[in-house]
Amino acid sequence: MKLTIPFYLHKVGAGFPSPATDYIEDDIDLNTHLITNAPATFIIRVQGKSMVNVGIYDGDLLIVDKSITPKNFSTVVANVNEELVVKTLVKEKGISYITSGSSNISEKINLIENPEIIIWGVVTYVIHKQQ
Amino acid sequence: MSFINNSKKNKIALVDCNSFYVSCERLFNPKIINKPVVVLSNNDGCVISRSTEAKKIGIKMGEPYFKVKELVKKNSVHIFSSNYALYGDLSRRVMKTLKSFTDKIEIYSIDEAFIDLSHIEDKEIENYGKEIKERILKWTGIPTSVGIANTKTLSKVANHIAKENKTGVIYIKEDVDEKLKNFHISDIWGVGKQLSKLYIKNGIDTAYKLKNISNSWVKKSTNVLGAKTVMELRGTSCIDLITHETKRKSCCVSRSFGKKVESLNKLKESITTHCLNAAEKIRNDNQVTKSITVSIRTSPFDKNRNYYSNTITIDLPMATSNSIELIKNAIIGLKKIYRYGYFYQKAGVTLSKLQDMELNELNLLTPLMENKSKTLMRAIDFTNAKYGRNSISIAQAGINNSWKMKREHFSKIDTASFSHLPTIIAR
Repeated sequence: MKLTIPFYLHKVGAGFPSPATDYIEDDIDLNTHLITNAPATFIIRVQGKSMVNVGIYDGDLLIVDKSITPKNFSTVVANVNEELVVKTLVKEKGISYITSGSSNISEKINLIENPEIIIWGVVTYVIHKQQ
Repeated sequence: MSFINNSKKNKIALVDCNSFYVSCERLFNPKIINKPVVVLSNNDGCVISRSTEAKKIGIKMGEPYFKVKELVKKNSVHIFSSNYALYGDLSRRVMKTLKSFTDKIEIYSIDEAFIDLSHIEDKEIENYGKEIKERILKWTGIPTSVGIANTKTLSKVANHIAKENKTGVIYIKEDVDEKLKNFHISDIWGVGKQLSKLYIKNGIDTAYKLKNISNSWVKKSTNVLGAKTVMELRGTSCIDLITHETKRKSCCVSRSFGKKVESLNKLKESITTHCLNAAEKIRNDNQVTKSITVSIRTSPFDKNRNYYSNTITIDLPMATSNSIELIKNAIIGLKKIYRYGYFYQKAGVTLSKLQDMELNELNLLTPLMENKSKTLMRAIDFTNAKYGRNSISIAQAGINNSWKMKREHFSKIDTASFSHLPTIIAR
């Protein structure tokens, strides 16, 4: 799992040297910025459209960290009815619910009434292909 | 020979993943949690990992798949072919999580590690073990058991007990004797088949009896390792943690065929593929080889056909990790040992006399060619790492490998490969 993007390249040519030569040349390593806890972080592909309201589209890649505790409105991966699904976690008056997207709050599932539902991990980034 | 007398009290934990391969398969497949699950060895040969539920049904470790098929059908057991890419990645994650506690860790196998906890107070230690277990479960999803004791051998015993224990964590100290009385001699770490036969013949059938055997008898009847085991059972640590990684001295890749192979061409394909894999492995470790061994054999259990088995070793003029060079030599060797008319079951390649690439680079005689090929090999490894195994191969390895491994129940997930990432639903 290693992904780097060159952000500065300088070719030596004739003439006045680039004033930027003295600055560090390095690649941006997306791992160091997007992944804070590598052993607990998984990249997972999404199938389905129920989370479009929160910006997650069919085929997107999720960076999921299993080690962090979800907050109100965290996007989470949860084990619901023997299936891993992506949901939004909502906290209201001390009770946690999961919902599909933010507009369908009415279809929220109460986590205290459904103790078999387990939060598998927390989505920290979504990678969406534009073209 | 004298006993090593070491009076310092170590505290060593053995952290062992529970039904590791099954737990890996369950991580992205909640449907098989709490259900009987079994993972098969290469070629879907034998049972190599079982869930607790599968153990209860009576499926034994190491049993050939065809023998348990009936049990599997009757109890709707979920079957998986082994997916070592996935298990390897999850193993690395478990070990990395362990390293977040301490650097004093010896990775003992794909699913177990010894760690040094001598710095933790006795009264704290079981809680610390629980913390380790909980963090590994939270971060990686893999359940473990933690056995803590004063020696490596006793930590193995403790782990066995921890597996049956509700919390999955145990520290055994002075109270060890009762436990050793119920611990069978053949389950002791370091006591192999031969040694356990010898012990049992002499009436020593439990760990407790071995612990209390006379020093003179041990000296007379076993070797240094046998003596060390006895000392370790008595709580004196004499097998140290090996915390640094030692590089391998040889690298072997061999596979049984999905269906038996008769033609030289098919054998060539398989030997070529094995060479590619072995060469990539040693390049990863920055090593080169001086010697390549090719081996082929038919099935020793096939009573209707003649048995044939042969091996050839070729010493290379110059140490290399170049796949093309290795394949060329392996094929020459294969042609020498191949006999027409046999049905081959297994083929393998071993690279031996491995040495560090850096040491080898000092050789002034290394022609420029080697550097050029190094660039090519690096490009191949990079492409295969990025786009998946065998994106770039060598034509001789074949494209439709009919001899390839049988993997009828393969889960196809690889958490470390972009093209085989797990998928979840947004519904």
